[in-house]
Amino acid sequence: MNRAASAPGAEPSEGAAAAAARRREMVDRLNSILARYGLLVAFAVMILAFSLAKPDSFPTWDNTKSILTAAAPALIVAAGLTVPLVMQDFDLSFGSMIGLAGGAAVVLMSEDNWAWPAAAIVALALGLAVGLANGFLISYLGGSSFIITLAMGTVLVGLEYVFTDQETIFSGVAQGYIDIGQGEFLGLNNQIWIAAGIAIILWVLLDKSEVGRYMYAIGGNPEAARLSGVRIRRIRLTGFVIVAVCAAIVGILLTAQAASSVPNTGVPYLLPAFAAVFLGSAVFRPGEFNIPGTVVGVLFLGVIQTGLTMLQLETYVINLVQGAILIVAVLVSQLGQRAA
Amino acid sequence: MSPPAPPLVVVKGLVKRYPGVVALDHAEWAIAAGEVLGLVGKNGAGKSTLIKILAGATQPDEGEILIGGEPTHIHSPRQATKLGLSFVHQELADVPNLTVAENVELGLGYPKRLGVFLDRRRLRAKVRALLDRLGEEGIDPKARVDDLSVAHQRMVVIARGMAAEARLLVLDEPSASLSNEEIEQLHRVVRGLAEGGVGIVYVTHRLDEIFQITDRVSVMRDGKVVLSCPTDDLNKASLIAHITGSAEVAPEKRDRAVLTAERGEELLRVEGVTLPGVVEDVSFDVRAGELLGIAGLVGSGRTELVRLIVGADHRAAGRILVRGRDVRISSPSDSRRHGIVLLPEDRRRQGAVLDFSVRKNITLPVLPSFRPTRAVPLPQVRRERASARDMVSRLGIVAAGIEQPVRYLSGGNQQKVVLAKWLESGADVFIFDEPTHGIDVEGKDEVYRLMEELALAGRAVIFISSEFTELVGACNRVLVMREGRLVGELDGDDVTDQALVERCYADAAA
Repeated sequence: MNRAASAPGAEPSEGAAAAAARRREMVDRLNSILARYGLLVAFAVMILAFSLAKPDSFPTWDNTKSILTAAAPALIVAAGLTVPLVMQDFDLSFGSMIGLAGGAAVVLMSEDNWAWPAAAIVALALGLAVGLANGFLISYLGGSSFIITLAMGTVLVGLEYVFTDQETIFSGVAQGYIDIGQGEFLGLNNQIWIAAGIAIILWVLLDKSEVGRYMYAIGGNPEAARLSGVRIRRIRLTGFVIVAVCAAIVGILLTAQAASSVPNTGVPYLLPAFAAVFLGSAVFRPGEFNIPGTVVGVLFLGVIQTGLTMLQLETYVINLVQGAILIVAVLVSQLGQRAA
Repeated sequence: MSPPAPPLVVVKGLVKRYPGVVALDHAEWAIAAGEVLGLVGKNGAGKSTLIKILAGATQPDEGEILIGGEPTHIHSPRQATKLGLSFVHQELADVPNLTVAENVELGLGYPKRLGVFLDRRRLRAKVRALLDRLGEEGIDPKARVDDLSVAHQRMVVIARGMAAEARLLVLDEPSASLSNEEIEQLHRVVRGLAEGGVGIVYVTHRLDEIFQITDRVSVMRDGKVVLSCPTDDLNKASLIAHITGSAEVAPEKRDRAVLTAERGEELLRVEGVTLPGVVEDVSFDVRAGELLGIAGLVGSGRTELVRLIVGADHRAAGRILVRGRDVRISSPSDSRRHGIVLLPEDRRRQGAVLDFSVRKNITLPVLPSFRPTRAVPLPQVRRERASARDMVSRLGIVAAGIEQPVRYLSGGNQQKVVLAKWLESGADVFIFDEPTHGIDVEGKDEVYRLMEELALAGRAVIFISSEFTELVGACNRVLVMREGRLVGELDGDDVTDQALVERCYADAAA
């Protein structure tokens, strides 16, 4: 291109200017492609790399199924979390909500002999109640979402211990309940179908529905949204309810899969969910939290986790590599974003 | 013919492209020390882009800037300050929770004791002296900036420029939302600074001001500087012709005869609306087909009054009656349901969702009308697009397309998008708070026409403005507010500039 611009015979100034403009346009376009699809490219490269390193075990149907099954609960909470994040609201309590919902359901079955559907419904109702409480405290009473949900998380851990006495419970979990987490449908674990269903519902909600548009408007400019007649308090509350109910579903799925309840199972899901949603905000619609992006973010993290484990690296190496990949992925997509 | 002193700033062949638009197209421009130069042009003509480049907020794609004859690359706002370029933007750039003194000296290195501790006394004395030099004895350096009036806040920014020893001061719509008296004071300050050798760029859409204050005028159109000449060589008509690029001249006054018909049904009645200390016991009504003006100086409680009416703020007392029925309005969504909408003054903070596209902003208040069927709340994007396109062409909104984020539009076009949002809302009562603020000549005319159309279609329109001439031109009845109270009502032929001025200032002047 340089050669063409300075070729003898061409009007030097005009030709150079046009070439410069064309070059700039190309750089812009490249940057915006990088911003939009950089994470997808990294994802593909990673899959390829793991497949080459472990050709017998990584690129197999069994492994794919196990990655997807492991990613399913992570996707459910991450998709739920995307909703309040769109409105610039944080939820740090959903990790504890997972533990509370699972613990409560198992205790009700094993100690109080409840039928499993009733126990599951109570778990979901707890999610609903906690979401309403968070939403009320934050959007109606004006608390900071960061602090309120942090505090709520502590409260929920306390409530979980009220149910479980901080003990691991293996017995008395109904088979019907266990089947929710262990059963299969069309060759795939139920959890995958449930996660896919929730992701689709939340995608339609955020991207296709009126409420979703209002949610993005609230995230962009709450005062303009309010003056446009958007009921922002009610909608923000809805966001907290959605993430809490998603967490309750995950609580049920995890205890069902394990056929037991272990204290505080949910907290490890907290940070990866945030990581996935933020990673996802770098794909498809740079700078905006969105469900398709979240799905990619969750799968990305799931593949790293499984791939690195298969390479039989020391745990500390896995931690280092996983952290480094995350940082690089986020930076690369944001660099592109700034240019675009 | 060449001036004796080297020009302060010269701009040569400046080009700036944004996705889909050429904001500056080989602009050539210059300003000398000690002159007041009026910079005018329609929204999107390139004024803001030129200013942003001088401020170091964005970089030109091509071209050259000479400062004091030296080619200079302005790569950051900090460097612009160092070069002696100072800017007073439309959106005030003070830190609201700091004091006047702390704002004026912000970033310039506060005076210190023992090299560490802030020496407040010396800081205040320094700023006091500066404000006195500007003739602003009334501003207390100890006051928090968010307690000041808009006019005083703007003075604080000007004082900051002086503290940084600015050689060039760019004022972007400095008179917006100021009262006539405040504008006169502003002009005195500007004159004083120019006599002291500072070059002043005065950006405004109020053409009267150009003739009052400037020595020279530069007109921008489509990213080019199409004219630079002494102000005395122009009159209002020829200036408008240069701005619009057409020979035809906008009418000075619009014919309001159509609106003087008998008053229709009462659509909105407000009784005893009060917020202590801000709005005191205000009552009025507005009828179908009426264009009711509310005049008043900034701080007279106009904006606060209408925010109380639509439930954006909570009133301490007062009733709202819609078509004679007492209604409960405690939030903007209640007000919207009862057919009353407010088009707010501060578009960036309250009007538009900047990251949303033109389409999504326009359809936000009326999203339910795009449902495929009543029970399915999934808006049909295709119909949204059609509606947005229609609005864009009706209001002459300049954008790369309806999917362009509003953030990238010029200020006046953002304002038009905010207007467009409400026009299809099917409301009965439209409250426009300073709708022409920052809009160019043609755009203003379009806004007047829109309000008129709404009134003719049997809606009630409330029009708030601090430009009395627009109220005189547009309204058949005008209420006057002063210090939170209704102090006068003018009807029909009694609505004159003179009468409005008298009532707004009546006691304040005494």
